Amino acid sequence: MLKEWVTKLRFFLSRRNHSELDEELRFHVEQSAHVHIDAGMAPEEARRRALIEFGGVEGAREQCYRQRPGWWMDTVLQDARYALRGFLRNRAYAFTIIVTLALGIGATTAVFSVVDRILFRTLPYADAGRLVSAGLTAPISPNEFLLTDSYYEWRDHQTPFAAITSELGTESCDLTEEKPARLSCSRVEASFLPTFGVTPLFGRNFDPAEDQPNAPKVALISYGLWKSSFGLDPTILNHTISIDGHTTRVIGILPKTFEMPMLEASDVLMPQALDQTAVSVSGSNAVTMLYVFARLKPGVTLQQAQAALQPMFDYSLSKAPPRFRQEVHLKVRSLRDRQMQDVELAAWLLFGTVMIVLLIACANVASLMLARGAARERELAVRAALGAGRGRLVRQTLTEALLLFLTAALAGLVLAEIAMRIFIAFAPQGVPFLNQAHIDLRVFLFTIVISILCAVLFGLAPALQKPRTETLGGRSLGSASRATLRQCLVAAEIAGSMVLLVGGMLLFRSFWNLENQHLGMQTESIVTASMSLGRQLYPTHHSQMEFFQQLRARLQGLPGLKELAVSDALPPSGYQHSMLYGVIGIDGKPKPEGGTGGTVQWRWVTPEYFSALRIPLIQGEGFTQAEQNSNGHFIVVSELLAAHMFPGENPIGQRLQPGMQGPWYTVVGVAANVKNGGLTGEELPEFYRLRRNREEDWDPSASVILNTSLPTAGVEQWVRSEITNLDPTLPVQVETLHQRVNRIADRPRFETMLVSSFAIVGLVLSVVGLYGVIAFLVAQRSQEIGVRMALGATRAHILRLVVARGMLLVIIGAVTGLIAVSFLSRLLSSLLFGVGPHDPVSLAGMTLVLSVVALLAMLIPAFAAMNIDPNVALRSE
Amino acid sequence: MPPSTDLLQGTLDLLILKTLALEPMHGWGIALRIQQVSKLALQIGQGSLYPALHRLEYKGWLQVEWATTENNRRAKFYSLTRAGKKQLQAELANWERLTTGIALVLEQI
Repeated sequence: MLKEWVTKLRFFLSRRNHSELDEELRFHVEQSAHVHIDAGMAPEEARRRALIEFGGVEGAREQCYRQRPGWWMDTVLQDARYALRGFLRNRAYAFTIIVTLALGIGATTAVFSVVDRILFRTLPYADAGRLVSAGLTAPISPNEFLLTDSYYEWRDHQTPFAAITSELGTESCDLTEEKPARLSCSRVEASFLPTFGVTPLFGRNFDPAEDQPNAPKVALISYGLWKSSFGLDPTILNHTISIDGHTTRVIGILPKTFEMPMLEASDVLMPQALDQTAVSVSGSNAVTMLYVFARLKPGVTLQQAQAALQPMFDYSLSKAPPRFRQEVHLKVRSLRDRQMQDVELAAWLLFGTVMIVLLIACANVASLMLARGAARERELAVRAALGAGRGRLVRQTLTEALLLFLTAALAGLVLAEIAMRIFIAFAPQGVPFLNQAHIDLRVFLFTIVISILCAVLFGLAPALQKPRTETLGGRSLGSASRATLRQCLVAAEIAGSMVLLVGGMLLFRSFWNLENQHLGMQTESIVTASMSLGRQLYPTHHSQMEFFQQLRARLQGLPGLKELAVSDALPPSGYQHSMLYGVIGIDGKPKPEGGTGGTVQWRWVTPEYFSALRIPLIQGEGFTQAEQNSNGHFIVVSELLAAHMFPGENPIGQRLQPGMQGPWYTVVGVAANVKNGGLTGEELPEFYRLRRNREEDWDPSASVILNTSLPTAGVEQWVRSEITNLDPTLPVQVETLHQRVNRIADRPRFETMLVSSFAIVGLVLSVVGLYGVIAFLVAQRSQEIGVRMALGATRAHILRLVVARGMLLVIIGAVTGLIAVSFLSRLLSSLLFGVGPHDPVSLAGMTLVLSVVALLAMLIPAFAAMNIDPNVALRSE
Repeated sequence: MPPSTDLLQGTLDLLILKTLALEPMHGWGIALRIQQVSKLALQIGQGSLYPALHRLEYKGWLQVEWATTENNRRAKFYSLTRAGKKQLQAELANWERLTTGIALVLEQI
């Protein structure tokens, strides 16, 4: 077998001399002739007979030639050379096709490189397809979690998983070395890395004995931290570093590709060191929330795993208070789903959009190739008459298509690199892996494969057109079938653009609604500074309060300052405290039965919060300076919460107990509702606790809010320098509230921008395609038009003749597009805000835009048709 | 003259290999030898002889050598390689099986 291949390869590489074959055949004929001469024939006659007996010498030579392994390579090269000569003769044609395709392929490649990691690429864990996230969902947390007591029960009794592990979460921590840094520390179970199939680059994972409370502290550090803080020094292993003031031994370094299952940034992996025995004591305070990940046993599906966990879940639930039960559900989903959540839909949206653009581009190119095919029909007929087989002609046309598509793919890769830079520059934060997107071998192969697929798919139509022998006669015949195919392509292009346009418009309207909604507060001229104090420098509530009070005193001196408030969280999204409605006690009322009542947001604020953000107080006075210095407990509720709690009553003076235990608070005001569930989320009831000048009201994080009459840029600078003066190591995020709100809208803005620009590209391409076909039809029918005019057709008749044909295509395309939209746009629903997926304004508006643009494109060939001179048209040919 | 297409598919290869098993020969010689030995029953069409020779060469069963003939004319001589000899044995066995099978069928029915 191998030997055979070696022989083949040898012959493939060695070029056989053509003259050898000729000599061999000549020898044969001469010998044959000799025989005849010996039999007494005249030499001339003998030679003639010999040739006749031999049969076709040329055929035999061709046959011999074809026995050579790899002989077809020669024909491919021949075809390629021929195609190149053709393109050089017809540069405008080749250039148009390559540019069109490069745009389509480039955009597709750029988008693919961004969505690849989100949609297709495997996660960087061993056998990642079997990893799942499991737990229960409740109104308090959008993602599944487990409480420690249930987790230990699950872990010890579960059957569907080969391994199960948990993560306590990731929090900021401080590296307290000579070069201090703010880090993220994740606390995980000892089984964490083994479950994910990750082995440390150096060193080892911690063992269960080290995952105990009061065990000596150990940690694994990320590759990034190893590089940035320790200069890739291998001796760091088994040395101690100081984290939050605790001496911690580094026992391992994580691989470069390691990422946390919830994709949060993490520098240090530490044992969660939970006290398992304390948890099992019922009603213990040691119960906390865990995120649980597991590896399915081979052959077990998600549904089976869910079913297997159900009894344990039911048991855990039976211990929960009855009103929680309805709102708590078991959830088992793949790790990819857990990571990507809503990003997945956006990624599919982008990918789908760009594929439509690519298809439109390809259809345009196919249409151009068909047009050229029509012009070359005679040439092909001549070649067929000279003996080129059908397969040979198809191969020739396909070679041309492949050459064009592959050239375009290379140009597209360059374009993609540029487009990706633009993407990354404009893209919002929080699109996972965007900064990692780049053109690697995988993306390169994708581009090449997709180009070849398109070339074969769209090159085949022109290739399969059979040259008709009639064209050899020299008369150009109307090629009706070609035009039909081209018209179908154009109608399909228009359908594609219709889908893109409506999608873009829906997103645009949704984005418009998002931007122009009423937030319930002022965002202009508000500067915010958010920070979180390190535990090392500010270990006590007292030191934290002192820092913020000093900061407040310094910032008070700012000229042009109208109001200064301190809160610990800012609407409309980001981290905000929340609490179940059912937990809040109301003086004189029983706790509600059945259901938790949903989530209530809350935050700590100083009295100036409402005036600084211009949030109107509807009832009551709000907080006062006197209350801030008192030791009473005061609370302001939002209108929505007041309506829930005190329907038809005066809320002022009522007393609430937010939380299972703790002090009772007196309601001193009702504030207007503020958007607090993100820009797209529903408004949630909310209450505000007064942050008094007492240390128990303070914690490490706070946001300072400044309402200023000065330009915000200068104020930001000033605030930053004041904070640096107080603590140069403190990381702080200073921005205007407007910027902050805008940033939340970054994702929809990005999606809208991309889909709209793709829609415009698609529209331009399909209108160019429409123009091309109509112009072609007019040119083809110029004689007919001439006859009609000679017989008395007016220019209006001709206009109607041309436009009617074009409009027919537009109508077919638009209707098909609208039907497709009615199915597709429903998938968009969850990305839309304040506009339905079948929004009539978008549908009607875009149909109108498409028709008008298409009409304009048709007018150019229509006028050309109207100006046909019957004399000239009838005499041509 | 019986048309050469009557030859069973693949038989031409066998005939060529068998003919060359005796001594190196050029294409003309091969055609002549087959014709003579078969008592003119088998006429090899040149249109299929040369492609077959080339195919066998590319398969590594034949090797070629340019040499002079008895009347001092340069010609391309084919001879069997070791792989070619092995192939001949295989094809002979195959032929044996085929003809026995056909003979059996013809006798039975």
